Amino acid sequence: MTARATGRAGVGIGLRAPHYGEILERRPALAFIEVHSENHFGAAAAAALDRVRADYEVSLHGVGLSLGSSDPLDLAHLAKLDSLARRFEALFVSEHISWSSIDGRHLNELLPLPFTSEAAGHVASRISQAQDRLGRELLVENVSAYCALGAGEMSEWEFVSEVARRSGCRLLLDINNIHVNATNFGFAARDYLEGIDPALVGQFHLGGHEARGALLVDTHGARVADEVWSLFDDALARFGARHTLIEWDTSLPALDVLLDEAHAAERAIESTPAMAGA
Amino acid sequence: MSTLATVQREFARSLLEDARPDAGVAVYRASVAANFSSALAAAYPVVRRLVGDAFFAEAARRFALSHASASGDLNEYGAGFPAFLAAYPHASALEYLPDVARLEWACHECESAPDAAAFDFDALARIEPSRYAKLRLVLHPSVRLIESAHAIGAIREANAPGRDGAPERLEGPDFVLVRRVDGRAIASCVAEREWRLLGRIAGGETLEAALGGEASGETLAAWVSQGIVAGFTAPPCAR
Repeated sequence: MTARATGRAGVGIGLRAPHYGEILERRPALAFIEVHSENHFGAAAAAALDRVRADYEVSLHGVGLSLGSSDPLDLAHLAKLDSLARRFEALFVSEHISWSSIDGRHLNELLPLPFTSEAAGHVASRISQAQDRLGRELLVENVSAYCALGAGEMSEWEFVSEVARRSGCRLLLDINNIHVNATNFGFAARDYLEGIDPALVGQFHLGGHEARGALLVDTHGARVADEVWSLFDDALARFGARHTLIEWDTSLPALDVLLDEAHAAERAIESTPAMAGA
Repeated sequence: MSTLATVQREFARSLLEDARPDAGVAVYRASVAANFSSALAAAYPVVRRLVGDAFFAEAARRFALSHASASGDLNEYGAGFPAFLAAYPHASALEYLPDVARLEWACHECESAPDAAAFDFDALARIEPSRYAKLRLVLHPSVRLIESAHAIGAIREANAPGRDGAPERLEGPDFVLVRRVDGRAIASCVAEREWRLLGRIAGGETLEAALGGEASGETLAAWVSQGIVAGFTAPPCAR
């Protein structure tokens, strides 16, 4: 039963190339599959996703639109995303509250924005532009960060809330990124959750991180940490159940490890009291 | 000038140029380098196997210093790598390496190139045979043509996953036709005469000029049935 058919919050995994064959062969029960949008811009990769779409809802998660950049929005990139979203009747289309290019030069990395009203207004207007072009809602994700860009005028949770309110989109809350940033910048992760309006939350991401010196780095290369599972329970209690994704990009383990993490997320969602908006 | 643009420009500069970045900037810098390096490794697996991981990593690092990414899609990064290798002093002993890289990029492009509609035989049937000479054939968007003085086709084949790396031939030249079959790039060595004919078709010559009096009907029919020739354009009818 698909997530769209039941309307119930379910759990999906990020699908990466080495697991394609095994997913198609085993067809494990999952509410949805998430892929990086850009990895399916090419004709052959899009055709490969057709086979996955025959059995699963597909969520398109972009890493290259550079929504927060001061450069003009890349309309050709947006057109490719639009074509994919229509082809796969994507369950979600999501991107990041970040920037990755300036003066035409792409760093292909999710870089943080300064928490200013100017930046919030800028990224919100570009999200609106993207939503108009796609004719659908874009979910936007809070990113992990390792340094701040300039003196902020507000907290990160106020910033992402303002972006969502001004653009009329909802947030993809990455629970691991909240934990990583709480550690790196010294705020309380629970304050972040308390600062977000439940109506603004459209999806959760869960991934692994690693410690590098005094910093936590969001590597998507490990199991979800105990502190992040605990924060996920708090998020479920505050916001209610939402579709949740297990994300793993580097040092990709056996598919069973991802499925095991997905089952843990399902158990957490099942033990959440039913709430309005879930 | 907005404050945001200034902040982004300064941060990008610190990522690329700062000699002694702080710990946070260093995390971003390492991640940017790793992203570019793995994008190159994904597009050039044979080059990487031929030179080894350490050599490849250093070449990728130096390439990134002089070649900025121009797209939010990392799959488009690395088009300039063959030319970079041709001028890379440390690779000068491996004369075939830049051509192997060109072949790999052709295969990479082949897999992401758009699809084409099926060959329109009905439209061809409506053309008077007397006008065939003025038709221009159109190759499928995924077709690429690469030539080399070296045995690049055999080298690539020998370095596919699971192969031992020993090419069946060491002598070129190779005339390689790259096309997409079931979503995968297939590189095959063809006769020079056929390769040049494909080149003239790709160059937009009329059938008459491309064939130059050679009888190639069976070859053309085979290319149509394999989807290598995907269509044609006809000149407007004479009044």
